[in-house]
Amino acid sequence: MTLENVDLIAGWAALVLTLMIFSYVLADNFLYRIAVHILIGTAAATVAITIIEGVIIPWVNRTVVEADTDEAGAIIVGIIPLILGLLLFLKSNGLLTSIGNIGSALLIGAGVGVALVGVVSVTLFAVITEAGESVNDSNALDATILIVGTITTLLYFQYISLRSRDGMPRRPLPLQLVALVGEGFIAVTFGALYAGAILTSLTVFGGVVQDQLIFLLEQLGG
Amino acid sequence: MRGGLHLGSALATALAIVTAALVIVGLLSAESTEVAAGSDIVLQIVSITIALAVLVGIWNLISVHVGRLIRTRKGWIYSLITLLSAVAVTAVYVMDETASWTGELEGEKLSPRVFEAVQVSIESALAGLIVFFLTYAIYRLLYKRFTWTSILFMVAVAIVLLGWLPLEDDSLVDLREWLMTVPVLAGSRGLLIGIGLGTVIVGIRALTGYDRALREP
Repeated sequence: MTLENVDLIAGWAALVLTLMIFSYVLADNFLYRIAVHILIGTAAATVAITIIEGVIIPWVNRTVVEADTDEAGAIIVGIIPLILGLLLFLKSNGLLTSIGNIGSALLIGAGVGVALVGVVSVTLFAVITEAGESVNDSNALDATILIVGTITTLLYFQYISLRSRDGMPRRPLPLQLVALVGEGFIAVTFGALYAGAILTSLTVFGGVVQDQLIFLLEQLGG
Repeated sequence: MRGGLHLGSALATALAIVTAALVIVGLLSAESTEVAAGSDIVLQIVSITIALAVLVGIWNLISVHVGRLIRTRKGWIYSLITLLSAVAVTAVYVMDETASWTGELEGEKLSPRVFEAVQVSIESALAGLIVFFLTYAIYRLLYKRFTWTSILFMVAVAIVLLGWLPLEDDSLVDLREWLMTVPVLAGSRGLLIGIGLGTVIVGIRALTGYDRALREP
């Protein structure tokens, strides 16, 4: 078999798999499910190979295999994640669940730490600073809309309420009005993002159809 | 143990709090300090543990499909396809790495070609398929929930989509530009600040041991 033959088989496989996925437009069918399960199998294998080859083996080599005998600290650091991984494996099998939680605890703790520092120092400060700067750069009407939009959108998600006469919790009237304005801004924001998603998927769809048509025309001699 | 203190959970919660505190202090410290170095080691350990957690997930996926195949439960044929695909990709990779291809394929690596033909094709087709769902979802929105917010949503969608059309008149383009740089930006900032504050609250709950994730044995 030559490399050209491999490319030809790959091209036909890609065309058939694409058609199998697009068959979902008609209805959920077994061709679509076969293609999706092929994706699951290949993706799982690819991810496993990438992790073992690109992450685990270099880590073990660097910290355990190539470490000097007097570098006990490096060896211990190298072994810790392997033990934690084993604990997670035992947890996933329903064995030693509470000990397996130690692995999860480390992940959650580190995740919380990184998220807190990242959110406060990057997202919150950056967005608030940027909001202040853009208000200065805009005309009076736009600046007002920017301030009102940001504040009302934020206030839409608060749930302070008073108990009404019928015993049901209700927001105070001023807050209801603010939340109503915020709801409008959220609707417009999500609408614009939705349109962006439509445009992106339309571009991808066009690209896929174009690629497959070019391949098909090449095979047909067109 | 209902209502009691489970030792494993208490240990896990304590470890999560200590790890979070160490990471926060380390990330906020100067690079050359010992705390920063300790935090860096913890983050390296966590990165490898996450990689191993993904492997555990893949192992779980494979074992579920093997179980379904052995018991010939409903959908076993799809499990067979999943397993065969995984085995095929692994076999091609092993052949590549051991340089087992013969003839004109000697010395070639076929894994990237398999990846391109199978994974990239299916993922691109799935991404392209989304356009149908998005369009149908808008139709359903107008048909099932005709409210003032759904009208606003639709108007925003229409302005952004029509604003990309290459028309002679630029008014729609200007309107789209204004929409994106004023109301949408304001809404996005409100949402981002809300997400940020929500993350801070969840983080503080975890730091103070209020989070329930590690309480259950």
